[in-house]
Amino acid sequence: MALNLFKIETAEVSSNASSVTFSSIPQGYTDLIVKFSTRETDAGSFGHFGIIFNSDTGANYASQNFRADGASNSSSFSTGSNYISASYGNAAGSTANTFGIGEVYIPNYTGSNQKSVTMESANETNSATAYMFLTAGLWTSTAAITSITFKQTITGIFVANSTFTLYGIL
Amino acid sequence: MAITSLKSGISTRSGMVGNTLIYPGSYESIATVTVSTPVSSITFSSIPATYTHLQLRYFGGNTAAPNGSGFIYFNGDTTGTNYYDHALYSDGASATSTADANGNNLPYLLGDLNRWGVNITDILDYTNTNKYKVARSLGGHDGNGNGYVLLTSNLWKSTSAITSINIQTSQSFIQYSSFALYGIA
Repeated sequence: MALNLFKIETAEVSSNASSVTFSSIPQGYTDLIVKFSTRETDAGSFGHFGIIFNSDTGANYASQNFRADGASNSSSFSTGSNYISASYGNAAGSTANTFGIGEVYIPNYTGSNQKSVTMESANETNSATAYMFLTAGLWTSTAAITSITFKQTITGIFVANSTFTLYGIL
Repeated sequence: MAITSLKSGISTRSGMVGNTLIYPGSYESIATVTVSTPVSSITFSSIPATYTHLQLRYFGGNTAAPNGSGFIYFNGDTTGTNYYDHALYSDGASATSTADANGNNLPYLLGDLNRWGVNITDILDYTNTNKYKVARSLGGHDGNGNGYVLLTSNLWKSTSAITSINIQTSQSFIQYSSFALYGIA
């Protein structure tokens, strides 16, 4: 049986943007998924972007990250952050036309519990050094999620043809 | 006529009294290949260009012992220098990160004769001609005492829309191995 997956909205960056937001998210699904394909303007081979919910920019987020770079692995975490560390997208130093891809899974987004997410992403480029991320994130609010913002966390911006697709799951 | 719920925003194909609601989902089967006799190559061709993303689901075994491996090609391009791949995997004792120039490996095809491998591959924006194509896979294989779990990515250095996907192994996919390709709106 096919997965009960329903597209809610696609956001494609047409000109450089520092953030992308899905707002007024319908509350009738069980879980949410966002698939993304992004490239950023940060110098170097990777960018930085994070996730915030309901426009909450307070220190209400935590993340556990497991990162691979093509040769070695590392782990990190953050608490009391202003966003969930989402990914190292492709950046100015990446091979032209390459975009990192990933997926965020947000279960029980309308529940009254604190919100947990998982994410996996890959920053592919024509080089031995490319980054993969496995992330578990937490938003300590018990509010239902009504908006999701992907925002740059350092100086970069999302370039044209970066895409984010939001799906609901029943 | 589609009916849209004011509460959920979800559209259905029919709201007629007495009809079972049919949800027009965004996840559709394009084709499924189930191996009947061992083969070393599987191809999905003439892939519709009408979806946003593709997803390939694999569940299968391999004649290799203890682990098989495979390769992925797009649009019949088998030139190794047109690909690059990276992987993060764990074997139950340690985690390893790898990179492979000229590579189109699918390390996830790790099933053997009796213990099959499982993998889900996402290929985003597969028709976008402004992008090189990237496939990201999560999968693994448990051999009841050995095995791997893997996150892999494959870069195809082409901006062409993907119209076919070919998966090969140096050994053979065994009977009942299954490859299912889905389109995601």
